[in-house]
Amino acid sequence: MEITILQLIINGLLLGGMYALISIGLTLIFGVLEIVNFAHGEFLMLAMYASYFLFQFYGIDPYLSLFIILPLFFLIGIAVQRATIQPILNAPPLNQIFMTVGMSMVLQNVALFFWTADYRTVKTSYSALTLKTEGLMISLPRLVAFFLAMGLIAALLIFLKRTYTGKAIRALAQERKAAMLMGINVYRTYQIAFGIGIACVGAAGAMLIPVYFVFPSVGALFVLIAFVVVILGGYNSLTGSLVGGLIIGVVEAFSGFFISPHLKEAIYFVIFILILLFRPTGLFGRA
Amino acid sequence: MLNLNGVSAHYGDVQALRSVSLAIREGEIVSIIGSNGAGKSTTLNTISGVLRASSGAIEFLGRRIENLYPHQIVDRGVVQIPEGRLLFPYMSILENLELGAFNDKARRTRERNIKTVFSLFPILEERMNQFAGTLSGGEQQMVAIGRGLMAMPKLLMLDEPSLGLAPLMVRQVFETVKAINAQGITVLLVEQNVFHSLSTAARGYVLENGSVVLEGEGKELLNNPQVREAYLGI
Amino acid sequence: MRSIVRNISENGLHPKIYFPFLLVVLMAILPLIPQNPFYEDIIVSSFFYGTMALAWNLVGGFAGQISLGHTAFFGIGAYASTLLYLHYDLSPWLGMLAGAVLSVLVAIGIGIPCFRLKSHFFALATIAIGEVLRYLASYWRGLTQGGVGLLIPFKPGIENFMFKSKLPYAYIALALMLVMLLICYGIRNSRFGFHLISLREDQDAAESLGVKTSRSKLAALIISAFFTSLSGTFYAQYLLFIDPSTLFSLGFSVELALFTIIGGLGTVTGPILGAFMLTPLDVFLRAWLGGVSAGLNFIIYGLVLMVAVKYFPLGIFGWVKSWYDPFLRKLPGGRRPLKTEKAVLPSLVLAKASNPARGRESSPFFEVQSLSKHFGGLVAVRDVSFQIQKGEILGLIGPNGAGKTTIFNLVTGFIPPDSGRVAFQGEPITGLRPPHQVCLKHIGRTFQVVKPFKDMTVLENVMVGAFARVHNAQEAGKLALEILAFIGLAKYQGSLASSLTIADRKRMELGRALATQPKLLLLDEVVAGLNPKETEEIIGIIKKISHQGITIFMIAHVMKAVMALSHRVIVLHHGEKIAEGTPLEISRDKRVIEAYLGEEYLA
Repeated sequence: MEITILQLIINGLLLGGMYALISIGLTLIFGVLEIVNFAHGEFLMLAMYASYFLFQFYGIDPYLSLFIILPLFFLIGIAVQRATIQPILNAPPLNQIFMTVGMSMVLQNVALFFWTADYRTVKTSYSALTLKTEGLMISLPRLVAFFLAMGLIAALLIFLKRTYTGKAIRALAQERKAAMLMGINVYRTYQIAFGIGIACVGAAGAMLIPVYFVFPSVGALFVLIAFVVVILGGYNSLTGSLVGGLIIGVVEAFSGFFISPHLKEAIYFVIFILILLFRPTGLFGRA
Repeated sequence: MLNLNGVSAHYGDVQALRSVSLAIREGEIVSIIGSNGAGKSTTLNTISGVLRASSGAIEFLGRRIENLYPHQIVDRGVVQIPEGRLLFPYMSILENLELGAFNDKARRTRERNIKTVFSLFPILEERMNQFAGTLSGGEQQMVAIGRGLMAMPKLLMLDEPSLGLAPLMVRQVFETVKAINAQGITVLLVEQNVFHSLSTAARGYVLENGSVVLEGEGKELLNNPQVREAYLGI
Repeated sequence: MRSIVRNISENGLHPKIYFPFLLVVLMAILPLIPQNPFYEDIIVSSFFYGTMALAWNLVGGFAGQISLGHTAFFGIGAYASTLLYLHYDLSPWLGMLAGAVLSVLVAIGIGIPCFRLKSHFFALATIAIGEVLRYLASYWRGLTQGGVGLLIPFKPGIENFMFKSKLPYAYIALALMLVMLLICYGIRNSRFGFHLISLREDQDAAESLGVKTSRSKLAALIISAFFTSLSGTFYAQYLLFIDPSTLFSLGFSVELALFTIIGGLGTVTGPILGAFMLTPLDVFLRAWLGGVSAGLNFIIYGLVLMVAVKYFPLGIFGWVKSWYDPFLRKLPGGRRPLKTEKAVLPSLVLAKASNPARGRESSPFFEVQSLSKHFGGLVAVRDVSFQIQKGEILGLIGPNGAGKTTIFNLVTGFIPPDSGRVAFQGEPITGLRPPHQVCLKHIGRTFQVVKPFKDMTVLENVMVGAFARVHNAQEAGKLALEILAFIGLAKYQGSLASSLTIADRKRMELGRALATQPKLLLLDEVVAGLNPKETEEIIGIIKKISHQGITIFMIAHVMKAVMALSHRVIVLHHGEKIAEGTPLEISRDKRVIEAYLGEEYLA
């Protein structure tokens, strides 16, 4: 089968769109709350399961389930922030790291307990549809997911740029004390930022389930990729996460084809370490 | 309008304020002076709620505020313009100003307030889409003051507004402070520049090592040899 | 080492000494007790995890660098020895060493670049490394048989590091653990240990006291990697089966950290306590709940981790410590006083006063020429030049934001200057970095905001400084005691630094810097925040220091102090030197008065 460069690029971009959506939540959380959410992947996993069960029991199409998933995970994010993150915001890094690491362990194994390690996926009527044009094959669900993801990211960026709450979030990330003095309710803003971050990754989960499998540790797989994207794009830049996600998607497509489908994961870890060493602020980050 | 009674504050285990008491009447300009480390900024931070007072009472317009969150204190009408300006560097002048008007009341009159700020500082209107981080010191100070005004303060507190500014700009800042006060806003001014602050203020307090060591009318303090001693050690 | 032996011989009958021995004997007997392989396995596992936890604690606890990729070394050890045995018939004992050496090399390769990263990012980097190795092991089938794993055929015999019964395994594991424990204990009380803990508490302060922070972190990682790797080989030889997902699992890395956090981060015996408590718990939980569902035990671990991190930062060790000492005193011999080194209150011979002037030296003692530094668009220091004469006290004053601390940071290796020249005793030291180099040249400093090593006692804090000049812990202790007596803190020697008042902390920081035997001492705002009485006391100490022949360069805001102490003063304003002279001259200088009080003041 002939696969052209263009095909690889397209495959990469479609995948990268997902990565971007997952990562942007992580960047937002890190930029505003200054903690690394090691449990980010577990929320992806939970969203995938949620979408799966919504389809199994209620026949709700995963893309439609977004209407439920987005607000639901926003609220989950707020709840988690209040319960576990807020108390340790001023704690030493060790405590912060292990709080989210612990949460990650708990969530993964709760999922294992309730839903076993079986791989599950959602097969809709259009799951296997592909568009064929000019020698290119494009999977329809992936294409839809890509546009939805880009749409959500665009909506997020507009929200942050235009609305008051969005600006408050950006202000808090840039200059905390001044934000406090300007009457910005810091605690509420933290909650909202975290909630948005989780809503993003939740949306990604709903979009992934038609084209991927869910199992308890699927989060671990994606979150590491997300970390690479965040570092590549710049840990305090949202556009960076967008671009970084797309880049990583394309890199994965290419290395999967030219080098080996298995070692492709090792490739972006190497990228990860190289960036941390030589350009820690990433492509778009600010020192 | 504002009363501090026996307020003490700590940074961790270090005591920064020792039982400070001061009073500010409506419509006044009051100045707090003192050398570095004397506790001037700490006083403002404690009033603003950024730092929690470890003891003592702070009363604003008859109500106690020492246990409120910072945003609630801003809601009550006490706004601080922090030392070093602390603008949002990657946002434009306009965005910085808009963010100053966070509480509901201020938001409703936002457009009008922005016009007022621009009339006070015309040069900002010209540059309103420029990133705040690229402005000069004097321009940044203008934005900072403007941003504070957007919150419709009843009491405006300025922390070392003349810091790092050229003499000409310094004079302008103090002129602005007087103009703001003329519009009915009470001002609490923290400064190291003794001359300007004491000549602008009606009354002053001198802080040393976290305690009030002198207080009096602005002009009196200006001529008080003790003040000069405190600064120059002789 | 000598001190341990001496301690034992003199105090042998005190429970503090013999009780740990009893515990060791007890542990040695322990493997003999159960007849059931299930319980034997728990014991072997406890010893084994104890070793790994101790090794992790060196990096995570002592040095404060949270590594979540330690399984990398574990896996390297296991695979190296196994592959060498399977393909080349190399005895696993030798393979064990080979694996350990390989791990050390990998540790160096990882450590040098990654230690530059801040805590969260360091943790991320270590996770990434663990994962890379996992992928390599899973997919390099030619080498490792991939996910299928490697099976070691069972050929019992000591040369094959395989035994029929679990007993030899237990004793090997115990031996390994005891060796690791002794090493950790030795490190804790040695110069190296002090360096590690000081850099964990405050890296900048440690550097200013001559601690080579990068090298120390790397050394800790190397030792940790070595022993983790040995454990990896042991594991392979014990289970006789290895596969990538078990060996390089992230969950395992987290468990390692868990042992130490529960047991007591940064303590010597904490990790063992954690391992001994959690290992049987793990086995029982798995047996009990595993029947219900896999992974339930991990839920509990995760929750325990979250709770422990928030509510029990000291771990089990903190709790055990509170009843351990009283318990010891109840044992026979416990009432006897311990014979320790007599605390010598010496006559005050501090840093050997510099040689009497051998005639005028050609170059000034300390010279700065045209020093400049800008941050972005802001010029912090502009073309500043001055000299310090040997033996004088030079004051540096100026309004807020004038650039004073920046100058300190420029000459002590914390920030590189943009241009200019700095020379000390004729030797150019412009831009000398990192800060520990500056300390080793006999230039010491204190910080504007005090940086005590909170988890150490006052004596230990000063000892860190002393270790810049001596390597032996006992000598460092003596030197530190001298210093404490000199600055008047002798009675606090055993108190934790976190319990001191701000004034005493400033004194301690002075003493700490003094212990590095500086010829030039830079004091940043040492008087700020003190009440008049404390100010008097510290002025007195500074005068004493000056009489010892040490040159002092001090930033101060409290004018009384500056005027009382300084022989000369330089004044900085907006990053430029605007005046220089005696205190009296300065107080009369128009430009200075303008700078502080405003130009119209004199009008």
